[in-house]
Amino acid sequence: MQLKKPKSIRGALATATCALLGSQTPQPAVASESGTNWEFDSALLYYSEKDRVTAVEPVVNARGDLGNDRFINLRFVVDVLSGASANGAVPSDRTQTFSGPSGQKSYTVAPNQTPLDPTFEDTRFAASVLWETPTSENVTSFLGANFSTEADYTSIGVSGTFTYDTNNKNTTYTAGVAFSHDTISPEGGAPDPFTEVPTGLTGGGEDDEGDDDHEGEGGESGETKNVTEFLFGITQIISRQTITQINYSIGQSSGYLTDPYKLLTVVDPVTGDLVPGVDPNNTYRYLYEKRPDTRTRQSLYWKINHQFTDDVVYLTYRYFWDDWDIKSHTVDLRYRYELGQHHYLQPHVRYYQQTAANFYHYFLVDGEPIPQYASADYRLGDMTTTTIGLLYGAQVGKHSEFNFRAEFMKQSGESHPAEAIGKLRNYDLFPDVEAIILQASYNYNF
Amino acid sequence: MHDPQLQNCEDYWVGRFTAMASPCEVLIDTQDPILAKQLAGIAQQEALRIEHKLSRYRQDNIIHTINTAQGAIVKVDEETAHMLDYAAECYELSDGLFDVTSGVLREVWKFDGSDRIPSPGQVKKVLARIGWNKVHWRSPNIRLRKNMQIDLGGIGKEYSVDRTVILLRDAANVSCLVNFGGDIATTGPRRQGKGWLVGIETPDAVPNTVTASTKVYELQQGALATSGDARRYLLKDGIRYSHILNPRTGWPVQGAPRSVTVIADTCTEAGILATFAMLNGAQAEAFLNQQGVKYWCIRG
Repeated sequence: MQLKKPKSIRGALATATCALLGSQTPQPAVASESGTNWEFDSALLYYSEKDRVTAVEPVVNARGDLGNDRFINLRFVVDVLSGASANGAVPSDRTQTFSGPSGQKSYTVAPNQTPLDPTFEDTRFAASVLWETPTSENVTSFLGANFSTEADYTSIGVSGTFTYDTNNKNTTYTAGVAFSHDTISPEGGAPDPFTEVPTGLTGGGEDDEGDDDHEGEGGESGETKNVTEFLFGITQIISRQTITQINYSIGQSSGYLTDPYKLLTVVDPVTGDLVPGVDPNNTYRYLYEKRPDTRTRQSLYWKINHQFTDDVVYLTYRYFWDDWDIKSHTVDLRYRYELGQHHYLQPHVRYYQQTAANFYHYFLVDGEPIPQYASADYRLGDMTTTTIGLLYGAQVGKHSEFNFRAEFMKQSGESHPAEAIGKLRNYDLFPDVEAIILQASYNYNF
Repeated sequence: MHDPQLQNCEDYWVGRFTAMASPCEVLIDTQDPILAKQLAGIAQQEALRIEHKLSRYRQDNIIHTINTAQGAIVKVDEETAHMLDYAAECYELSDGLFDVTSGVLREVWKFDGSDRIPSPGQVKKVLARIGWNKVHWRSPNIRLRKNMQIDLGGIGKEYSVDRTVILLRDAANVSCLVNFGGDIATTGPRRQGKGWLVGIETPDAVPNTVTASTKVYELQQGALATSGDARRYLLKDGIRYSHILNPRTGWPVQGAPRSVTVIADTCTEAGILATFAMLNGAQAEAFLNQQGVKYWCIRG
């Protein structure tokens, strides 16, 4: 309607309505989204890699509806990790011995085995709070803070996300920013990159060595890392059955991005054998890894959810790239199959493929100059990860839901890369990592 | 006339009856069944009184008298005069989009889901009999041209909700929620300052859910009304013709939402804002944003 006086129409209508109803000015409408409902989610996750890391993770999440479209979300997570993780060294026909940065916790790897650090053990506590409140007619803000701590790592962060609803809430624009500040304090201090790893010769000498090496370094105060991330997104309701979302995010990390527990083997350029340490105390030569001190990450994320008569399909795709030359594609598909009477099954398939960081090396070669950066952390290598799983959910009573999830995950990389030298051609330089994931969740709605 | 059906729910009573071709109910914040019965009776009487008065299917009411006067002047009662004043004001405020004389368009537009679209000639012929500006209205006298008709049904249900609220307020100091076919108003807050819970179907943008969900609102004071009906349309050559007709062109409004729900101080105001929004078609949301009211439009 081509309204000539768009602003005045409501007042004029109210006046006319009063005249019609023969009443005095009515009380203004007071309507608020109802209740102060709390919803509790608790879950216990069990993650176990074959021969490697096992994690047990209880999570409690509480979401409170404070009325007037205001919500608060509190989340507590405990992670108990134990087991072995690949330290980056390559297998060899010799017995290999490694020790921690200050020389303690040494461990031995049998010939022909992938070197795993079995001393991996940690407990992480994390807590976060998210406050959601409408700031104007179509704008909602989400302000968050989070904290996590474990023996050698502490992270604090804040975030702010704003959504703008338009087109009668069929379209939502999202913009967000997040900062985090992390402190990394490995036991005994962070090792100097590309220094030789003490290989744990027996006797007292090596303890002194370690202490001397690291006292003057970052020491107790630890290394730090800052991350800033921006996110922009559009969510569009296409129909009553279909919703889609596209997000772009860009993040910059700076500071200590190296993993203090990862190392690289230096091998003979012809035979691929281990070479003796330059330091006579070290049986073999391994160097601590070094990564760049900045990383810019970008990603594009697309999601579509579609509801059939009862069933729902969830499909997401993510493309990620960073200035370390890692590029990855992730496709994730879930299908919620309603069994009727508040029971459902949800099969899940996920496929992830990444290219290696430009400083990823399976090993370093003796006699060649040490590159500017290098890491043998398999998580920075070429790899594909496939996950398949099934979730069963059931509504129990009026206010609660129980679900159980079982998944199998397999990570594979290039086991026999072209750059393998001599004996290394006989070894699997990227053994598959297989894991099972079991999770039980219980949701209660007051 | 049957008495309203009474039902005791947790801590209040509900009286149910049918009027204006809609299910009607009154929620009464009392434990006293006698008071509940009395108040439900007041609501039913008022709903039926206004239905009787404004129905265009009856031959014993003021609407029939006006519509069959064959060009003669009809003197109307005070209540009808107020409604005609209101209709005139709405015509002005909407620049002629809200027009109580547009009902005759139903002679050529039959919204039954079929593909029977009238010819432009048929529409043009009917259009000649539409226009509040052709009506002689000087309260309390009205004169329609021959072949013209008025229909106050577009504001009748919401008006009867508000009238009922006024009567219930006068009758007892008890909070009531009046719901006549989805047009709703409350007499005031419930005991302990609580409101009445009203479910509103909204498309949900929460991740992992794509179903339209019912948001529950606590209505302590005020009213809400909904305009629109998904089942009333025509479909021809892939074009969906909504049942919202533009009285200036005689053709359906383009791009109207499937339904519009508005919260306002009174049900009449909520209803007229929802109707105006529908008449704005694709600009429904823009119009409502200008008015600064809380609303939900459902499209698709």
